[in-house]
Amino acid sequence: MPGSKGNGGSARAAAAVSLGRLSGVLSRRLHMGGGTSLPGTVARRIDPTIVSRLSLQLARGSIVVTATNGKTTTCGLIAAILRQAGLRVWRNREGSNLINGIAAALIIRANLNGRLRRGENTIAIFEVDEAAFPAVVRELQPRAILINNLFRDQLDRYGEVETVAMRWRETLSEVAPETTLILNADDPSIAALSASFRGKTLFYGVNDARQAIEATGKASEQGQTIDARACPHCGADLEYSLRFYSHIGHYACSSCGQHRPEPALSATAVTREQFDRQRITISGPDGSGEALIALPGFYNVYNALAAATVTSGLGIDFRAVLAGLERFRPAFGRGETIEAEGRTLRLMLAKNPTGFTEVLRTLFTESSTRHLLLALNDNAADGYDISWIWDVDFEQLAGKDLALTISGTRADDLAVRLKYAGVSGTVEEHLPTAIFQAINDTPQGETLYIVPTYTAMLAVRGELERHSYTTPYWEGKDA
Amino acid sequence: MPDLSIQTAGESMPKDQPHYQLTLGHLYPDQLNLYGDRGNILVLCERCRWRGIDLQVRQLGVGDVLAPDEYDLLFIGGGQDKEQAPVAQDLCEIKAPGLWAAIEDDMPVLAVCGGYQLLSHYYRPAVGPDMKGLGVFDAWTIHKGLRVARCIGNIAIEWQGQTLVGFENHGGRTYLGTCQPLGTVLAGHGNNSEDHTEGAVYRSTFGTYLHGSLLPKNPHFADHLLLLALRRKYGTEVTLPPLDDTLEWRAHDTMLRRLRVNSRRQNNQQTAQQANR
Repeated sequence: MPGSKGNGGSARAAAAVSLGRLSGVLSRRLHMGGGTSLPGTVARRIDPTIVSRLSLQLARGSIVVTATNGKTTTCGLIAAILRQAGLRVWRNREGSNLINGIAAALIIRANLNGRLRRGENTIAIFEVDEAAFPAVVRELQPRAILINNLFRDQLDRYGEVETVAMRWRETLSEVAPETTLILNADDPSIAALSASFRGKTLFYGVNDARQAIEATGKASEQGQTIDARACPHCGADLEYSLRFYSHIGHYACSSCGQHRPEPALSATAVTREQFDRQRITISGPDGSGEALIALPGFYNVYNALAAATVTSGLGIDFRAVLAGLERFRPAFGRGETIEAEGRTLRLMLAKNPTGFTEVLRTLFTESSTRHLLLALNDNAADGYDISWIWDVDFEQLAGKDLALTISGTRADDLAVRLKYAGVSGTVEEHLPTAIFQAINDTPQGETLYIVPTYTAMLAVRGELERHSYTTPYWEGKDA
Repeated sequence: MPDLSIQTAGESMPKDQPHYQLTLGHLYPDQLNLYGDRGNILVLCERCRWRGIDLQVRQLGVGDVLAPDEYDLLFIGGGQDKEQAPVAQDLCEIKAPGLWAAIEDDMPVLAVCGGYQLLSHYYRPAVGPDMKGLGVFDAWTIHKGLRVARCIGNIAIEWQGQTLVGFENHGGRTYLGTCQPLGTVLAGHGNNSEDHTEGAVYRSTFGTYLHGSLLPKNPHFADHLLLLALRRKYGTEVTLPPLDDTLEWRAHDTMLRRLRVNSRRQNNQQTAQQANR
């Protein structure tokens, strides 16, 4: 591009950063809301190369993380490990995971001369939306790319699961081989991505057979809605020797012989010590060790393993990896706890069939009474199409000891879904009312579990902030 | 605050009701299961169970021959484009004789989204050759290119003086020849966002773009399908005992209000009563 080098280019970059940051300041002053990606939008309009220009100045490069489920938690785990190892970590903001949000994260750390603030130990971790992945990776040329899972999610926005996988393959085929790719060995559609990439791939997976929900059988014979049942290479049925959840497990193709790759890092034992305390034994080339992670749910074992693998791949000492995993505390709305009126509220975001099913499984592993608020919204960020609730395994709630409140913009639809699962509850569409009703219905000292979709989670948190039970995210530590 | 009471099997069933047995054939459950299609099957099962009707669901995959005498009701859902091609071939080769016989013999068939397109003459994708369908409906579908916006959003239609609500998400536009539409669009796109038609009907075969899922929020349509199946098998005297559909109608009416469509609930209820007379 003419003028992209020398004075013309840096003047343009300086203008992009200045005006981008100014727009952010104005937006906040005028209370236009948490427009966290506005500076990026403005800056990229002025200098379309601003992301590649600034990211090249990152002393320790960048890590890109994408997946259907667990992106934010995985980034939090990676950040905890890297900080443990003495690095300075920059991240994009919650919810700002499209290209303009990534640009904004760089711009707020740039000087008005269009150069990134200096930091010899600085590494950036970018959580990236599945659909924005191609654009972000092209502009960033990251040092490491981590792809954790692919489930059906928001068909009205992302299109079909196969479309997402196809775009990822196209993108990876153009990535420079100096980048390290980190993939989940246990998700067949993710593991297959390595065939499209010229550089080095590191796999991770679970090698603890006790965690399997069913021992054997073809994925398609199990009567569940599973997203990846066909071999990504030849289309024949996959056979599972172990299945942990959905299509995640140990598999091999019955026709072409493609099978789960051997992981570099594996979880050889997982023990649940409390609801949100899991002890994981991680084994890899540097030996084996244990970490106690403060997260509920088996799916979080994959998030922890993914974080351990990407950081090990960057040369972080294994002891720092384990210590960092232990240091991590749950992110905004993803297993975090908030105290209110003598009750403990636990927010567990769930936004698609697999995520929702696994959150429910985590909640109902023990037989104790559960106080539960489910909130289903259908705003843009949730997806307008709520037909996915019919693919959630709500049937596992039938017959459980349960005090249930149903809320959100589509509470009526959720109530119908639950009726057909044999589950009853109280419907209160208005979320602020529903929250306090559910709190009142929960005895003092007990826990109210709140399972919201994305914008319902923001609304729940907003309401709790308004009553000063927790601090607003804007003032959170990760600015 | 409504209490969601759960009906138990046979609660509303008169003691002297004969024992009805139906078999539902679910076509291509592995390939066509995209838009909460499980919800449609579940609703048919539960509404039968609550009335003491025995409904068996049998899956019909690629390669399975459809023996029309073994089924009373058929369902075909929607799928990813990639998975639709082998299905189309199986439909036109393996399933065709049995499926045609069933349809011509007035077996109720519900085909949603991709399934609806597969029962039409052809699907013309944005790129590549036409995909041939079974041609039950005198209709065809054209994808006008990836630059043309998909038909996505909540939808309400008028069906026989009543309303049906759902969600649609289709890239192809469907045009009808001589066959009747399922209904008239009150809000949303329908077949092609041009002529206000939605879906297609041939004998007792219904094609529609409505999912969401379709049957949970439209209990009158679910019961219409069940009644067609029962009367075909056991005679025109059969009636369906009413169920408590308070929650279902709340969800239905909430969507109508949101789409600013006037309720035709009186019609809906009257038809339900007439059907049972």
